[in-house]
Amino acid sequence: MRRPNPWPRWRRVRQAVQIVAFILFVYLLFAALQRRIAFPLADLFFRFDPLSALGAMVSSREWLPRLAPALITVGVTLALGRIWCGWICPFGTLLEWLSVPRANRRARELSPHWREVKYLILAAALIGALFGSMALLVLDPLALLTRTMTTVLLPGLNHALTALFSVLYPVPPFQGVIGGLEGLLRGPVLPVQQPVFAGNALIALIFVTIVGLNALAGRFWCRYLCPLGALLALISRVSLLRPIIGDACTRCGRCSNVCGVGAIQTGDNFRIVPAECTVCLDCLAACQEAGIGFRPALGRPRGWPAPPEAYDPTRRRLLAALGAGVAGVVVMRTGAGARRPDPALIRPPGAQDEAEFLSRCLRCSQCMKVCPTSGLQPTFLEGGVEAFWTPRLVPRLGYCNYGCHACGQVCPSGAIPPLDLATKRQAVLGVAVIDRNRCLPWAHGTPCIVCEEMCPVSPKAIRLEEVAVIDARGEAAVVQQPHMVSDRCIGCGICEYQCPVEGDAAIEVRRSGS
Amino acid sequence: MSTLTRRQFLGLTARVTGAVLISTACSSGPAAPAAEAPSRRPPPAPSENQAYLAVARGDDAAAITARAITALGGIERFVRAGDDVIIKPNICVDYHPPEYAATTHPAVVAALASLCLGAGARRVRVMDMPFGGTPETAYAVSGIGDAVRAAGGTMEVMSPIRFARTAIPAGRDITAWEVYQDVLQADVLINVPIAKHHSLARLSLAAKNLLGVIQRPNQMHRNLGQRIADLASLMRPTLTVVDATRILVDHGPTGGSLNDVRQTDTVIASHDMVAADAYAATLFGLRGEEIAYVKASADMGLGTLDLSAIRIEEVHA
Repeated sequence: MRRPNPWPRWRRVRQAVQIVAFILFVYLLFAALQRRIAFPLADLFFRFDPLSALGAMVSSREWLPRLAPALITVGVTLALGRIWCGWICPFGTLLEWLSVPRANRRARELSPHWREVKYLILAAALIGALFGSMALLVLDPLALLTRTMTTVLLPGLNHALTALFSVLYPVPPFQGVIGGLEGLLRGPVLPVQQPVFAGNALIALIFVTIVGLNALAGRFWCRYLCPLGALLALISRVSLLRPIIGDACTRCGRCSNVCGVGAIQTGDNFRIVPAECTVCLDCLAACQEAGIGFRPALGRPRGWPAPPEAYDPTRRRLLAALGAGVAGVVVMRTGAGARRPDPALIRPPGAQDEAEFLSRCLRCSQCMKVCPTSGLQPTFLEGGVEAFWTPRLVPRLGYCNYGCHACGQVCPSGAIPPLDLATKRQAVLGVAVIDRNRCLPWAHGTPCIVCEEMCPVSPKAIRLEEVAVIDARGEAAVVQQPHMVSDRCIGCGICEYQCPVEGDAAIEVRRSGS
Repeated sequence: MSTLTRRQFLGLTARVTGAVLISTACSSGPAAPAAEAPSRRPPPAPSENQAYLAVARGDDAAAITARAITALGGIERFVRAGDDVIIKPNICVDYHPPEYAATTHPAVVAALASLCLGAGARRVRVMDMPFGGTPETAYAVSGIGDAVRAAGGTMEVMSPIRFARTAIPAGRDITAWEVYQDVLQADVLINVPIAKHHSLARLSLAAKNLLGVIQRPNQMHRNLGQRIADLASLMRPTLTVVDATRILVDHGPTGGSLNDVRQTDTVIASHDMVAADAYAATLFGLRGEEIAYVKASADMGLGTLDLSAIRIEEVHA
């Protein structure tokens, strides 16, 4: 008598774990934003990310204990294969949920050589890290998802709901309900100040493209492009336990049809490719004959380590990817931006050594997610190509709050050091400079001391001088003109943020040099 | 259980998206004409045995607050059973604990919340819009959040949807501004500033504290004195309680050094915001008319500057 197939139940367990992991990921996003959790919890997922850990440690030549849990992921992968991809990774889960019907059939028409792209990206990323450049870590899937959530989805959600509520709230029948609902959400979920992010359209476009590629093949990103998936694929070639097609197989092909990542080879060489398998258990659940078993691969003739695949990168292509990685670093380092960064490229507190910062920053966007003013923005080309999507303070959009040190607390790699509040208050980010041609008291004889009023240091870094002037109406007046006391300025930028002059502020934070 | 077909799902998505798009489009349209503010009960003038202005001194902030209110005739003069009360302290930044004198003393705010609830207020909400930090962090660091919740009041995060452009009929410089509507609709508004230094206004007192419930406060500075007075004419707080338990004499409004803090152990209370400000100014060696917005408020008939003409009761607790 055949025992009932236990795998559909395990498959449900896997789906439950995915849901829990995804909800936890989103919860941490909100909770960190609103400081509902201890800061060190905010970067939980990144600590288990071996690509981030390996990249940052190779690039900075330092053991980063905070990223040590990535070893657990490596261990689990060695034992069981790409559990991370199939069970945990919130980006993978999202792409699985957003799968397109019939994409798997279409995927068979794609050349299997697409699968090598991820290895080539990984090779270029790691050789870059060896030369101290983390630029390709922008493609880490957790970083991609965090960046998209932070700069596109959460601000969009806030704007849409606020707009909807603003329309409904003044209408009497809705006032009570909307007021109550909005009161519950405002604060815990929706920030009071609408966050805005530079370059969010590009980030949205990339995200939509990745989701759209799902139409060509289920989890296109995971199969073909993901560098973290590639790293785990390499490890899972020597994993101990894996699904293996056994003797009871009738070659019905059901397993291959249900496999979400196309890891089951049909035809003469009917087998599951360990490097591509995400251990989702769908094939085991679909098998009518108990023909697939989850077994130790040790000692099996063709099982361990996994044999090379036809689409594995050739030595020549691998060398080309490594060469491209090295050349990329050389080109980035010889760009003008590398020597003369934009004067407005202001780094987060404690991260003023540009080279050291760039060698550690995971491009994970956690700091931007947690910054209460959304002053931390994704860098575009202000620091050269290499600094793409690293965080920079844009004071006109949001200041570095004197009462906050959150960014350094959530930074997984320590690129932004975890300064205590008292130390962070003395960290100099830059220095404010007054534009006397635009400043209201200087240029127009109009009273205004907003920059001085806002300055959080004591004694203030802006001093006022009372002078007799001719005002905007041509009349004699006495106004207070602001002067910088540069040695006291910490470059927090609240003066620039609050300056009432339209457009660019009449006081702006600039790199101060060290 | 019925399941959603793809078609239904898409239809639903389209409808929701449509609603959001339309509302977004509406909300970014031309500014609506300024609405009339609802009229609140005017600040109640004192009867014969009640002080016009009370000054309480002592080292227990809660006790002198209660004592000052008693001298005015008790909280019942201002709050009736069933009233919706808003208390507006100064919680301008989330930088320092209360001893730095940048934010109102939590015990003063909590004492007022307790008194109002004791008088049968339906609810007591406390709020401010800090310019440094988020409301939640500022409420926490100032100590006001915990103190108010312990007293039975609620801390409200001021929502962007509750601001509306409101006509200021008596305004001499500004005739409309974006104001938090609940502050205008409340039955009772209690303004509880801390007395402190401010470079442009000279002092930040009660009328200046009202900048925390409007949008674009930095645009007020071009003609700060008159604009604050215009705003005060719209708000007409029922009761003003100036926290001068300790005052910030320099580097305001943010402070940050205890060297700039003077322990003055005083609470000043009156239904007349102008008189309360005029008295508070004397703690800094200034007269009310030397503060532009206090002078402008008096000129608009919002209260009196003449401290010799009113009945001031000085009490100790």
